[in-house]
Amino acid sequence: MKRAIIIIASVLFGLLFYDKQIGLNLLIFSIITLIVLIIHDSKKFKERNVLISAIVYICTGVIVFINLSNLSIIANCIAFFTLIGVNSKSNTSIYINWLNGVYSTIAGIFHRNVDVNEAQQQITLKKDIDIFHWVKLLGIPIAFIILFVMLYKNGNPMFNDLINKINLDFINLEWILFCVLGYFLFSNISKPVCVEPATSLDLNTDNILVKSKNFSEETLKKETQLGTLLIALLNLLIVFYIVTDILYLLTNDLNSASALSNQVHSGINTLIASIIIAIIIILYFFRGDLNFYLKNTTLKNLTYLWIILNIVLIVLIANKNHTYITSFGLTYKRIGVNVYIFLTLIGLITTLLKVMNIKSLVYLLRVNTQLSFAIVIILSTINWDNTITNYNLYKAESFDIDYLIKLSDRNAITLYNAKANIIISEDNKGRIDQKYLNHIKSLNNKDWQEVHYEYFTVTEKTNAYESSK
Amino acid sequence: MNLPSNLSKSMLLAASIFWSVIIADEFDPDMIPYIFLSLIPIFMVSALVITLTICSVFWLREKDNTSKIKVFYTYFPYYAIVSFGFCFYFMASSNFDVFVVAFFSSAFITTSQSWVWFAKEKPHEKT
Repeated sequence: MKRAIIIIASVLFGLLFYDKQIGLNLLIFSIITLIVLIIHDSKKFKERNVLISAIVYICTGVIVFINLSNLSIIANCIAFFTLIGVNSKSNTSIYINWLNGVYSTIAGIFHRNVDVNEAQQQITLKKDIDIFHWVKLLGIPIAFIILFVMLYKNGNPMFNDLINKINLDFINLEWILFCVLGYFLFSNISKPVCVEPATSLDLNTDNILVKSKNFSEETLKKETQLGTLLIALLNLLIVFYIVTDILYLLTNDLNSASALSNQVHSGINTLIASIIIAIIIILYFFRGDLNFYLKNTTLKNLTYLWIILNIVLIVLIANKNHTYITSFGLTYKRIGVNVYIFLTLIGLITTLLKVMNIKSLVYLLRVNTQLSFAIVIILSTINWDNTITNYNLYKAESFDIDYLIKLSDRNAITLYNAKANIIISEDNKGRIDQKYLNHIKSLNNKDWQEVHYEYFTVTEKTNAYESSK
Repeated sequence: MNLPSNLSKSMLLAASIFWSVIIADEFDPDMIPYIFLSLIPIFMVSALVITLTICSVFWLREKDNTSKIKVFYTYFPYYAIVSFGFCFYFMASSNFDVFVVAFFSSAFITTSQSWVWFAKEKPHEKT
């Protein structure tokens, strides 16, 4: 039964993906994957983590269908590996889930092959496939169905027409090999495996720090002195920097493109690097027994202050990027800077929590990877090409129409609708028309496996396109 | 370790995967002599890759009396992930050219299966 499910799933895999672009097929593949996993081990789906991962995975499939973008496809792949990893061992960290998920997907069948051999040789004998039975099971019904179809074809012209309409041209040796790839994939994921000893090591690692047996007051005293001096000086330096930066922002005209560009491009990377180094310094001092040293209050307070001042620094960086965006519009790089700033902010907040609650380094890694995954999924729900186009055309002080036209086709309809209301050259209007027509044409030429939500919303546009031909 | 047996099986496996992919794309009866001739370079490549990347791991751990199954469980996952990443990168870089896909898919499956054959060997089997 389970083998038959995998065979059906692999044939569907061939139907969905062979020579096709991504679209509805990825959502259907997500559902098939879930069905295969449930059939192979339904008990697993009673566990909370597995259930959440399954829901997230299906949601990412829906996001791909609604908002087809590279980011949504990446989010779906990460969610797939997470689900497979959670299926192999549900209580591990998300990065171990990814490791187990990737390993199960690409090499699960090889791992299980050794598993079976190791368990008992008689298992191999007991589970030998009855090939003759399978040939009978599949061959006899197929032979009789073909025979009866041939007979019925001659008896009913309507039935004959319907049978002749069935197009089996897609079945060729390449397609069969593609199905074999699907079989390999579904066999691998049907019984996910674990990477050892990484999985057991992760299960045995706690989020809470524990006082070590070699607790030495003398060493900790020296380390606290060093830490207090270093972080106090860094606090002074950052205060000085923030004051000068605010003064610079207040006294200088940053409306020129070159000044803003210089501030944003050369300044932000250096500042964010400094914040990351700050996090590393904090993690170094609070890596172990210093957390339990009774006279660490000053160092802790200075660390909290330094983290808060770094957050102020982030706000200043975000403000510069925001000024740049409002003046010259959104681009992918500017959005990237915002994401980078946001991730750094999260890093600082989780570091603050780690120091406050005496958590381990692993806690930081676990929380931050989980949050990064959540952010990727949230970001994948947005049609960025459309957002950039709408913002630049209607909110930014100036925009680069060439940049907007060169974006992917996902903003074609927005640009086409907006072209009458914006002042651009006739040449650019022609480019927008061409982009729009190409987009509608490509939507019309899609196979059912490749369609996505936009396909269903452009019926009127398609009619307009047909009439313009 | 029964290296000759492993290499022979690997050569046959690699050749069958490689030619299945090539023939699936286009078959020409003139190819048949090349199928047999290709066994020589396929054997050389598989022998080189298996000896350098797989046997070396087993030989290194053999000194500590670590069992083959344990070596497999400890190192194979990382080997499989890295080799898959490497093979996929080259396939994607070539825009999934048939020859490149045939070469790297056979390389990945053969090396992975070769690990399994080594791990399944009985302890007394020697070269």
